[in-house]
Amino acid sequence: MGGRGALHSLPLFRLSSYIRCMELQEKITILSGAARYDASCASSGSNREGSAGGTGNTSQGGICHSWADDGRCISLLKILLSNDCRYDCAYCVNRSSNPVPRASFTAREVVDLTMEFYRRNYIEGLFLSSAVNVSPDHTMEAMVRVAEILRNEECFGGYIHLKIIPGSSPELVRRAGLVADRISVNIELPSSESLHRLAPQKKKEAILAPMKLIGAEAGVSLVERRKSRNAPRFAPAGQSTQMIIGASPETDLQILRLSQGLYRKMNLKRVYYSAFVPVNSDNRLPVLAAPPLLREHRLYQADWLLRFYGFSPEEILSDDAPNLDESFDPKTAWALRHPEFFPVEVNRASYATLLRVPGIGVVSAKRIIAARRFAPVTHEGMKKIGVVMKRAKYFITCSGRPFDKLDQQPARLRQSLLIGDGSEPKVPRQLVLPGMG
Amino acid sequence: MNHYLYDGTPEGLVSAIASILDSGDDPEQTVLAVQQNTLFEEGMLLRTDSALAEALFERLRLRAPDAVQTLWYFTMAETTELETSLLRYIALAFEHGDRVNGYLTHASVKAVVATARKAGRELHRMKGLLRFEQLRDGTWLARMEPDCNVIQPLARHFSRRLRAQEWFIYDAGRHSAAHWDGHALSFGTLEQFSRPELSAEEEAVQQLWQTFFKTIAIPERKNPRLQKSNMPAKYWKYLTEKQGE
Ligand code: SF4
Repeated sequence: MGGRGALHSLPLFRLSSYIRCMELQEKITILSGAARYDASCASSGSNREGSAGGTGNTSQGGICHSWADDGRCISLLKILLSNDCRYDCAYCVNRSSNPVPRASFTAREVVDLTMEFYRRNYIEGLFLSSAVNVSPDHTMEAMVRVAEILRNEECFGGYIHLKIIPGSSPELVRRAGLVADRISVNIELPSSESLHRLAPQKKKEAILAPMKLIGAEAGVSLVERRKSRNAPRFAPAGQSTQMIIGASPETDLQILRLSQGLYRKMNLKRVYYSAFVPVNSDNRLPVLAAPPLLREHRLYQADWLLRFYGFSPEEILSDDAPNLDESFDPKTAWALRHPEFFPVEVNRASYATLLRVPGIGVVSAKRIIAARRFAPVTHEGMKKIGVVMKRAKYFITCSGRPFDKLDQQPARLRQSLLIGDGSEPKVPRQLVLPGMG
Repeated sequence: MNHYLYDGTPEGLVSAIASILDSGDDPEQTVLAVQQNTLFEEGMLLRTDSALAEALFERLRLRAPDAVQTLWYFTMAETTELETSLLRYIALAFEHGDRVNGYLTHASVKAVVATARKAGRELHRMKGLLRFEQLRDGTWLARMEPDCNVIQPLARHFSRRLRAQEWFIYDAGRHSAAHWDGHALSFGTLEQFSRPELSAEEEAVQQLWQTFFKTIAIPERKNPRLQKSNMPAKYWKYLTEKQGE
């Protein structure tokens, strides 16, 4: 081979006609256009070393390869195998009753696109989803085939994320887990009543069963791999899910409890929230002036508190106030309700306590702890190590000294926080339409 | 204050730091700079001694491996004028071990760590933004002009990732190149460079990628400012999806 590995056949152009390329252009337009509303583009959490003769590996932290015109990171070739759907979910642009252009890739086309893009370093790998074409098993089988060809025939070691079609057989879910880095089943809506009303062809069990199966298989694989490095890996980057926010009446507290359950009981790596965007007129759907993007953003913040900051849903919300505050991020809102917790002395507080301070995140908390080993951290020092003081300054002391005169009057504090912030920094919001498949 | 000078080479810098540390001078009371040969220059020139530099590295590797890593990234940034900070940083690394990187309230530590981080960030960015093009003879070429000298670790990254193809990475600003022949990496310089012809398929694949790039963005959410802050315009020159902008 003499290093001329580049002389791979280029199967994409086996029928190297211009027409074929035009056809592919069109398919990409339809099938990436239909996939763009999926929130997740993460390529992290897996470190697969490529095989000697193969192409590709994965990187634990994930890599962004570009940023699209909406500012979101592009990491994976995010695409539907088909948008030709048999189902008729109320919220989805691809539902069978919508007159949209339909297209489907062949397995070979997706494989070739993935390889050609990967060799040019456009992508970390493939994120394949699909509408339900013929039957769940038929669709799932076609998707798994794509991943199997990539792994077995092309020796592809890059990242693969496969969506599981609700209702696919356990056998196909197992096959998917053996070739993918991450698999995900979309929970779609936060309650089974809503699911029944808006996506009548999807059954709650058809969603939960594969989730449980994935969790169990991943657990078994971990145990086996501890015994032997050669035991097969099962979805090493774990599973994630996605739900639509604002198409149904659940409160934020219900949603956070559901997420907490998914993290704790199902061992999910990530729950994605997507603000409902009305793409169909349907009297089962609420009429919204605009997609609830702020609510989506607040849910992501609250979710972050669940996963990394040791908060419980009940600390963030209560049955009396079951929805997230619009004007304050959930941590600030919590801090305002708990004046007795503050001020926090940065030179003595534990890591967990530092994390409770609005404006101090994981990185800042770690830096404070590392720096105070050398000398007490002063106000100047806080800035030097890169802590953003805009909100934090109201809640901390450095060796007993408050920043300004600490204003303990809750009403005044709320006011300063609102003004001091110039309300919220403009967050790059992820706008996400109802997921496919 | 003690004033010392060195010859301006990376090796000279490390060896100068080694001799200052051996001299017993207090690093916090010592200034180190490149020799400019101006008339009124203050300070004693320290001779470059590669054995001394080597020995310092070895001792530091044992005492504070993270600091060696930081030092390595710091060098990639090719900053001048931070020699004094580096001297004090290394002295602190010997004193405190790897914990030194947490001592961000110390101005010298902060300067060195921030510079190293800048290089680390750009290296990570280039792992994503580098674009390979297929040439007529079947080999692949990626061109770039990064601020920091990241070609070595970058090439190592791709030698694990794209190991089944023969490729070159060319740093157009530094005229340096890396070559992977399918088995081994080599580095060198290219004084003359003209871009070879592309393979017949290359343009068609580039068009497919451009189409994907356009359609994957949510039209209602166009946000050029966010795009630019994540992917500064200085990198667009070689980005397939940003050609013609
Ligand atoms: S959500 Fe999925 S199953 Fe439902 S209509 Fe859309 S593509 Fe089909």
